[in-house]
Amino acid sequence: MTAHRLLVGPFNRIEGDLEVRLEIEDGRVAAAYANSPLFRGFEAMMAGRDPRDALTVTPRICGICSISQSAAAALALADAAGARMPPMGARVAAILHGVENLADHVTHFTLFFMLDFARPAYTGRPWHARAVERFTAAQGSGLRAMVEARAALMHITGTLGGKWLHTLAIQPAGVTRAPDARDRVRMTSTLRAFRRHLERETFGAPLEEFAALETLYALDAWETGDVGLFLTIARDLGLAAAGVGPRRYLSWGAHPGAEGRATRAGLWQAGSVTPADADAVREDLAHSWMMGEAAHPLDGVTVPDEEMRDSAYSWCKASRLAGAPAETGALARQAVDGHPLAQALATEGGVRARVAARLLEIARTQIWLEAQVAGVDPSHSLMGDWTLPDAATGVGLT
Amino acid sequence: MKYCSLTAAALGLGPAFVPKIAHAMETKPRTPVIWVHGLECTCCSESFIRSAHPLAKDVVLSMISLDYDDTLMAAAGHQAEAAMMDTIERYKGNYILAVEGNPPLAEDGMFCISGGKPFVEKLKTAAEHAKAVISWGACASYGCVQAAKPNPTQATPVHKVITDKPIIKVPGCPPIAEVMTGVITYMLTFDRLPELDRQGRPAMFYSQRIHDKCYRRPHFDAGQFVEEWDDDGARKGYCLYKMGCKGPTTYNACSTVRWNEGASFPIQSGHGCIGCSEDGFWDQGSFYDRVTDLTQFGVEANADQVGLAAAGVVGGGIAAHAAISALKQAQKKTQTKVSENEEA
Repeated sequence: MTAHRLLVGPFNRIEGDLEVRLEIEDGRVAAAYANSPLFRGFEAMMAGRDPRDALTVTPRICGICSISQSAAAALALADAAGARMPPMGARVAAILHGVENLADHVTHFTLFFMLDFARPAYTGRPWHARAVERFTAAQGSGLRAMVEARAALMHITGTLGGKWLHTLAIQPAGVTRAPDARDRVRMTSTLRAFRRHLERETFGAPLEEFAALETLYALDAWETGDVGLFLTIARDLGLAAAGVGPRRYLSWGAHPGAEGRATRAGLWQAGSVTPADADAVREDLAHSWMMGEAAHPLDGVTVPDEEMRDSAYSWCKASRLAGAPAETGALARQAVDGHPLAQALATEGGVRARVAARLLEIARTQIWLEAQVAGVDPSHSLMGDWTLPDAATGVGLT
Repeated sequence: MKYCSLTAAALGLGPAFVPKIAHAMETKPRTPVIWVHGLECTCCSESFIRSAHPLAKDVVLSMISLDYDDTLMAAAGHQAEAAMMDTIERYKGNYILAVEGNPPLAEDGMFCISGGKPFVEKLKTAAEHAKAVISWGACASYGCVQAAKPNPTQATPVHKVITDKPIIKVPGCPPIAEVMTGVITYMLTFDRLPELDRQGRPAMFYSQRIHDKCYRRPHFDAGQFVEEWDDDGARKGYCLYKMGCKGPTTYNACSTVRWNEGASFPIQSGHGCIGCSEDGFWDQGSFYDRVTDLTQFGVEANADQVGLAAAGVVGGGIAAHAAISALKQAQKKTQTKVSENEEA
């Protein structure tokens, strides 16, 4: 028997750094440790500040999903202060949030995921030449088209949020920017251009056709665009069976907006959805270089273990829902929302399922955004009154 | 040539330099760049890849060869580390080291681990044979959010760890994309560092105060202010000074170059500037507190007084402007002195 250890890091294409340690026995992975080699201490920085400064501090947790962090901070403050966004303010906040989500998905698919299949390791595979043409780092035609289309899409976050990243416009009781009629026209044409990009490059067909897929069989029959290439690769490399998670999916609902959230909230298990209970969240510290006990985020402390004890391996706390891990992300959101294809993918549960669900969310979010922008009415109020109480507790979930 | 003209304009070089930039882009060998990430949020990379003029992809393809980047490269792990060492060996003394984020020095640097070792070691290795170092963003330049009080990890800006190399600070959280690509374009075209201000920032992008180039400045001078979110003044685009705007104390190109391909900038979105290109902007009180004393910046009254004496200010506008410029220079020197003292 031969045993050795493999350290995969820096693990690139991810914010916040990731390192994976693999214990290998007889040519097979016996154990894997995914760890965060990065600690900054946001909880300590927040203490003693003006609570409103959370709107500036928390987005810096991540420069990829900064609007999600910003929306969570605004929701937590709103919860604490009893503030509510007027419907038009909530709509603009949701558009900002949705555009970031859409941009992140296309980046992930093109720049962080498909890029890998252009590597020489896959030379000789029937699809390799096409992958090289589309996704070679800094040169692939698909990659260049995506970078340009995405920058143009971000005009919407620029227009509504002033700048992206680390947009400041989302406040607990609304948004600071009142889009006018001209902005609405600009956003509409920006979205139209992005739809053209998606339909020409990514899907090779109308978005509605992909969003209407209901079965894995129908998905497998999809041949056009980069989606078709991905499905070919997934079949050849067995990506459906790779990386299967706990098949327990959690979503708090995407993009809180004017008419509630864009997708439903809940916990998906074996095909049925039950309400998700935020009080059942615990941050487990068993393998984390953190002091203290597992606790709800409201009660927990963040004190690093300076000894870096041997029984732990990461600076990250591990989130648990009712004592067990749950998968989040596009697959979880779409499955919890009840989309038939996503539910089939949730049962499959591997790499192919996650990527296909992300593609599904791209199609559905683009369609949803078009409707949201069409409903922007500049004459409505964008921000309500709110005052910060002397003492309060609040929760914001995105 | 279109984006060469825009590059020239962005760099403040005028039309005469357009052919020179075009020539450089076409003929110069590509400059290798090693791009490493410490404690950060990757917002600098995200900003960079959205640059419009010049397009980031043209910078990457035509001007630099991004030989190592933690975030964007195809290889990972062992292969990635090998690529970095290979670039260092092959281009000793000729590559640019771009640093996003900063090293934490507490706990022997173990709050940021790269390839099993403290990031600070990787930074020092990469810097040893670099021609110059670019400190991207507020993290590398000043420390940014992780260095905000109480700075739990002792996050430390690059220039306090690397002391024997020329360092160009490109602060902002993130920096404007066109500023990032503009700095690289300049370095390639003229084969030297851009002129830096006394804080080490390229003067071409950081010599102007947001407040002085702000399209809402006439409302400040007229004493017209937003008093609360979404009020009548907010709808009319009045000055955000009373909402805590830090434009009067911030030097950056936001109000001229703007963001997201010129779409807007924070003040245009109705929210005040938070001063993210200034040293220590995290610990100057709340982002919603007013800048309390404007006297040192050359405007002889705070906003309330400006409001009362609006007519007088308009009348004396031209004389006041000259005074502002002189005082601004003095202020800049004072600021620099303070930051130098802090470093000592």
